Amino acid sequence: MTEKPRIVLTVTSAGIVSAETKGLAGSGCLDYITILEDLLDARTIESAYTADYTRTNVNTQDLQEERNVERA
Amino acid sequence: MHHPLTVVEDRSSFDVDDGTEGSATLSVSLILVPLAVATVAAVRGATASRDERGRVICQVQTRMRDEALLSAALRQTNAVVTADHQEIVASWDRVQATFQRGPDAVWSAHLTGDVDEQGAVDIVRAIDAEYGRQVQRAVLEQLRERAPAAGLRLESETVAEDASVRMVFAVEGRLS
Repeated sequence: MTEKPRIVLTVTSAGIVSAETKGLAGSGCLDYITILEDLLDARTIESAYTADYTRTNVNTQDLQEERNVERA
Repeated sequence: MHHPLTVVEDRSSFDVDDGTEGSATLSVSLILVPLAVATVAAVRGATASRDERGRVICQVQTRMRDEALLSAALRQTNAVVTADHQEIVASWDRVQATFQRGPDAVWSAHLTGDVDEQGAVDIVRAIDAEYGRQVQRAVLEQLRERAPAAGLRLESETVAEDASVRMVFAVEGRLS
């Protein structure tokens, strides 16, 4: 079952914001970096993203890829 | 602006027998700092000097950038505040603080009166804590106001013991 797309934001009393996207398909979650910066009048100082693939019926093939993504 | 991201894809059990690929969702976690805040560190140390009348002046660099939020924070500390765009003066019973903008638009505080360097740092820390609450309030208001136009619907809002506010938005916009 597909997770409903959501964004969870936590705003601390020091004014710092942490954000996490959930259930967004593909690399669409990256669009929300700019959207959140505009929405909050803020700049991103840390970012990390982890793949969370929805699994279907399958052959087991352990494979881990690591790559660096640099957004312009 | 560059956002270096490290991606770790766990593709265990991902290849499908019938040749179709599994659907994928990704999560990004971010730390954002509002433009009203210059750095995450609240207050650096104080330096003391004397003015032309021989009074000790303690200077403390702050992380605060927003004039209106700083003035509001000062009023919350029961200061009498006068402000123009170049200078904010806050007066308490025995201490006065003059805030001036640096070249990076960040305010630095110059404290005079019954205060030493440590006292100056403590006072600016207290102002900074109130400033943080002002920024939090402004960010929350901005989110409530602007999120619908970005296709985000507020589903829940909860306040934690440490006074941080957690908001969950459903993504309903064009990018979902």
